[in-house]
Amino acid sequence: MDTSENLPTYIAVLDVPEEKIEILPGASADLTSVTFSIKEEDHTLGNSLRWSIMQNPQVDFCGYSIPHPSEAKTNLRIQTTDRSNAIDAMNKGLDDLRSVCQIMKARLHQRLKEGNYAHTE
Amino acid sequence: MNGSAHVGDQNAPRVRIRSLDKTNVDFVLSNTSLSVANSLRRVMIAEVPTMAIDLVEFYENTTVLADEYIAHRLGLIPLVSHTVDKFKYTRDCTCAEYCKECSVEFTLHIKCTESGTRTVYSSELISSNKDVVPVLETEDDRGAILVKMRKGQELNVHCIAKKGVAKEHSKWSPCAAVAFEYDPHNNLRHLDYWYEKSIKDEWPLSKNALEEQERDPSAPFDYKAEPTTFYFNVETIGCLDPQEVVTKATRVLQEKLGGLQLALDEDQAPDAAANVDDGEPWV
Repeated sequence: MDTSENLPTYIAVLDVPEEKIEILPGASADLTSVTFSIKEEDHTLGNSLRWSIMQNPQVDFCGYSIPHPSEAKTNLRIQTTDRSNAIDAMNKGLDDLRSVCQIMKARLHQRLKEGNYAHTE
Repeated sequence: MNGSAHVGDQNAPRVRIRSLDKTNVDFVLSNTSLSVANSLRRVMIAEVPTMAIDLVEFYENTTVLADEYIAHRLGLIPLVSHTVDKFKYTRDCTCAEYCKECSVEFTLHIKCTESGTRTVYSSELISSNKDVVPVLETEDDRGAILVKMRKGQELNVHCIAKKGVAKEHSKWSPCAAVAFEYDPHNNLRHLDYWYEKSIKDEWPLSKNALEEQERDPSAPFDYKAEPTTFYFNVETIGCLDPQEVVTKATRVLQEKLGGLQLALDEDQAPDAAANVDDGEPWV
């Protein structure tokens, strides 16, 4: 099966891993505390995603680590209150961070259009 | 709760461009967290795709430089990459080795037939695609020097340029440098300056210090304060416009997040995946 058609052309992974994300053994049954292992990602995503997940009041704890520099893996731990679960927190974190990027892009386009800056050739 | 992660919120990130020219964009990103600003910086340096020569076939090389040395120099030549989005990564392409969907070919065949030194410039590379050519600063710029020849020496190479990111090799980086600063007055005390007699005399303030107030030195230290304003200066090598680098970086970040969300959804629906008929050929 050729899945290359479905991949966004921008994602810069050297090898497309079969499982981009997995849940490491030891997650609680109600999924309130889960460690995700994300392949082919580093501090670029890890740190800002951790920040974005931490903004959620349902999240008690969120932290990430890169267990070994020669393995392209990031482990992200999320612990939430009983009213939520780590999967939802992850989804919300991703959504929120994506909208931050979206706003950043929109503001940038807006400013470029306004042209209200020093321009030198 | 800090609501800066929400759409339509007044606390959403703000951008102000201070100056823009052919190779530099100077902008201020505010109302966001250090981690987001740092992600943007990291993506601009290492994950914005460009084109660069990746394979070199040597037919003739009687110059003083070894094949691999010239191949390396060719790889480092910046190529105009405004059309990079039209190319696929070779690993995603259906072709066996390379094709025009995922690569651009260059040829260079120079023989020195006269006495004196013959200098070969990057502008002498002949491209198979008019949109992907060596970066030249002006009309009469000849580009980077590849090699110098004496009479009788010859260089005949065929190069294949591919799309890539600087995470794999820095030749694909669109940036020469990304300047990044926050808290120019060191109000947050993230820096511990080394000094002989006086910090103020020995550590001159940057121009960004004009944009912020210095905290009253007699006031108690605000240990909860966080950086919110970030000063960027992105300098490109000419393969992409500086503003293009920044907008593409935000797009790369978004697509990374989107890809992860998709993978998460798939991971959460194992039953759906199990029901898919793999279509065994003998059935």
